[in-house]
Amino acid sequence: MKKKLVFKNFSIYFDQYLFISITLLSVIGLFFLYSASQGDLNTIIKQSIFVGLGLVLMFALSQPDPDFYKLFSGLFILIAFTLLIATMIFGKEINGAKRWLNLGFFSLQTSEIIKIALPIFLASYLYNKPLPISLKHTFITLFLIILTFYLVYSQPDLGTGLVVFMAGIYILFLAGLSWRFILSSFGLIILSLPFLWNNFLQPFQRQRILTFIDPSQDPFGSSWNITQSKIAIGSGGMSGKGYQEGSQAHLNFLPEAETDFIFAVIAEEFGFIGVCLLMSIFIFILIRCIYLAFNARDRFCRLTIGGLSLVFASTLFINLGMVVGILPVVGMPMPFISKGGSSLLSFYIAFGIIISMATHKKLMQK
Amino acid sequence: MIDLEERFIEKKSFFSRLVIVYLFFGFLFIFFLYTTYSLQVYEYDDYEVAALKNKTKEVLVQPVRGIIYDRSGNIIVNNVPSYDLIIKPSKIKNPDNFIFEISKIIDIDKDNLDYVLENFSLKANYNRELILKRNLSQEEIAKFEVRGYKFPSAFIDVRYSRYNNYPKLFSHATGYVGGVSNDELVDILDSQSLSQIETIFKYSNGYQIGKTGIEKSYDKKLRGKFGKKIYEVDARGKLLKEVDFIPPLDGDNLYTSLDINTQQIAYDQMNNRRGAVVAVDLDSGAIVTYLSTPSFSANEISNGISKKSFDALLNDNNKPFFDRASQGRYSPASTIKPAIGLFGLDTKLIDWDFSITDPGYFVLPEDQRIYRGWKEGGHGKVNLNKAMVVSSNTFFFSLAYKSDVNQLINFLSNFGFGEKVCSDCFNPDQGLLPNPEWKMNNLNFGWFKGDTVNMGVGQGYLSATPLQLAYYASVLANMGKQKKLTFIKKDNSNNEMDLPVNNISNLDWKRLHASMIGVIESPIGTAKRLQELKNFKVAAKSGTVELVSTQTKEDYEIIRQNEGNRDHAIIIAFGPMPNPKYAVSVVIENGESGGSVAGPVAIAVLNSLVQE
Repeated sequence: MKKKLVFKNFSIYFDQYLFISITLLSVIGLFFLYSASQGDLNTIIKQSIFVGLGLVLMFALSQPDPDFYKLFSGLFILIAFTLLIATMIFGKEINGAKRWLNLGFFSLQTSEIIKIALPIFLASYLYNKPLPISLKHTFITLFLIILTFYLVYSQPDLGTGLVVFMAGIYILFLAGLSWRFILSSFGLIILSLPFLWNNFLQPFQRQRILTFIDPSQDPFGSSWNITQSKIAIGSGGMSGKGYQEGSQAHLNFLPEAETDFIFAVIAEEFGFIGVCLLMSIFIFILIRCIYLAFNARDRFCRLTIGGLSLVFASTLFINLGMVVGILPVVGMPMPFISKGGSSLLSFYIAFGIIISMATHKKLMQK
Repeated sequence: MIDLEERFIEKKSFFSRLVIVYLFFGFLFIFFLYTTYSLQVYEYDDYEVAALKNKTKEVLVQPVRGIIYDRSGNIIVNNVPSYDLIIKPSKIKNPDNFIFEISKIIDIDKDNLDYVLENFSLKANYNRELILKRNLSQEEIAKFEVRGYKFPSAFIDVRYSRYNNYPKLFSHATGYVGGVSNDELVDILDSQSLSQIETIFKYSNGYQIGKTGIEKSYDKKLRGKFGKKIYEVDARGKLLKEVDFIPPLDGDNLYTSLDINTQQIAYDQMNNRRGAVVAVDLDSGAIVTYLSTPSFSANEISNGISKKSFDALLNDNNKPFFDRASQGRYSPASTIKPAIGLFGLDTKLIDWDFSITDPGYFVLPEDQRIYRGWKEGGHGKVNLNKAMVVSSNTFFFSLAYKSDVNQLINFLSNFGFGEKVCSDCFNPDQGLLPNPEWKMNNLNFGWFKGDTVNMGVGQGYLSATPLQLAYYASVLANMGKQKKLTFIKKDNSNNEMDLPVNNISNLDWKRLHASMIGVIESPIGTAKRLQELKNFKVAAKSGTVELVSTQTKEDYEIIRQNEGNRDHAIIIAFGPMPNPKYAVSVVIENGESGGSVAGPVAIAVLNSLVQE
């Protein structure tokens, strides 16, 4: 149950179900990361700091009234855009991609911020628009979504770009995008696929998709990751090889074991049973989000909860799909588990906002 | 703003749309779970194997070759260990400094040092060994033992070399080992269902395989089986720890029938003349002496020889690499006469009383062509016994003349002519037992009666190797028992066969032996000069292989100016009579006289063999 604890004149907004399950997930994540990083204490300490910070942040962000987010959503997205553009100019380049902004104590992956700012802004823009959303608003929204996608995509970061794009589309869809528009744009997208393929995808991205379709094309290129990941998962069997006993991860056969492919480490060491147990926590969080959305006080809150929880779900399923080989390799962390401060913090922020949206009730009906 | 009714519709629409999206994710999740399930449960076995294969690396461990012994249990070919200084590059941080420090204790030659430094980081990466110095002296080992504690990443270990204790005596008999070609390696490993991977070598020279001689024909038995070390490796192939060790199966030792002492005597007797000596134990058909001279050092070929020395051997006119014992083809000359005589007896063309008058030549009735004997004026009245003792050509010309050529050829083949007579010799030549068909095919000429007549004295197209002559001598000595030659003394009775004859009695054999004893014992015998050399009675038949046909002694004196034109000396002998134990054949190229040049070698070999 969502709770509003009242101490004298001061109220605390808190959802113990989400709080406990996310804390549990974070702790389990640290435990997995310890194995995936081969017992590297530095990594664990750093990640623990982010987890602690994240939990505090989540709690703090649950406190403001949704109206606060509604009011400042324009400012948020402006800041997020500024950071994105700053990244394009000042960002540090790693492996040919400019995704991080150096803040001295911490490198910020700015696309993680826009991932949250965009759904909130779109919710605040669309919450009072009549049904179905008019063509004008649809196009304004779409323009914003595509602009954001393009900024992220050009870093280049196709994976996060897609999540941002999908986040925007979810809001638009949940807010009541007309079915006629949906059907006609589907047709248009299918017709323009070849054009997108040739003009918007980087050669390595095309290669990844081709490899995904036909893995035999390059056994040691991008599908090497997938092959090793499948071996790790498959060799885990029903009950796994045991904690820190995964040879694929510990002997470095599995690439990106701490980040994108951490699920393979879990599957290798804890088997199918471990996978199911872990998944049940994620499923619980998602179901809790549906419940909270249903009971939210107004349309803005509903849209925000729906949009942010779907960002979370998309990130999770893109990651899982990639690791087990049913989606192409796009570079996507596993929420709350993978190493990486920005992604981790962004989800605590998202859930902080979700809890705020879910726990604040209008005391006085207008 | 939207009113209440609209708000209700909006809420309904929101819920249904959220459900649609979640349903989509639900399907995705089920698909994901199904994929994970099939990876982890249905395909578990495949992936378990794949993961195991990823992390294990097998390294072969080389077996040590078997030792080759002589018949008295003395070692001929051995594995000689040398102590090598070996380092583990992965445990050395600064190679230059390390080598500078260790050089203070042990001198390291420049060539090897260059190799070590070039390969240092590679071996370090993969956690492998490097040999810093081979063949340490006692002094160096002692020095390292005292001060080696400073170098925990270096150690001394044994590596072997294949070493022939009598490298010149047995260069052709035992042969030598050498590097393995890629195909050979694949074959060897295939036979153990292994594939070509890294190997921990026991030999300084790496993979070894028999190239010639016994090393080659018994390679499979001598080489043993590879063992395996199984390591856990990481993705870069770095060895992490040893998981399992299947020790190699060292090769079987080989107890040959060769006799070192007699081999030495034969070698000394040959005194580097071109030729061959093969002696056979009559009881088993086992080869006790197998020598081809001049020789070379088997060790130099196996373990390293300078290009200059190798080229010198290769270009030597005396062809030291040529194995005359099993590959040299020589006309048997007069040594064929006992077989021809036996053929005459068997076909009843003659008996012991049959005689002719030898005028010193034979006239072929068909074309009046003259075939000469070695003695002008001839030997007078000769029967078979005398014809053997004095080596009358005329007698055997006329006997061959009366023979059916195909019957004769068939008879000779039973003595090993044109046949494979050794079961385990390396690449033996089968000589040539000509027949009319062969002549027509190869020389485009029909068979003349004269060809048969020539065959009667072992000249013409007929040729045999010293190995075949030794076999022939053994069949004569054993009164027709055919025993395949071999380097291993074993119970040979299974593949022992009797000469298929119709009319040869034991008495005939004894008289034949007596006539061959007469070759040495009789005052008119062709090898009577051997009487003083022998320790016991020996049966023999000498031969002189004419290389250039001459009519008179004067002509021969002219052609013999060129050493290469001189007759080959040849003899077959067996003893001690009357119960012979060993048979021997000796060929000395351009030695001229079978009795007096090849004979002493044969007698010395028999003396030595019987004495033991």
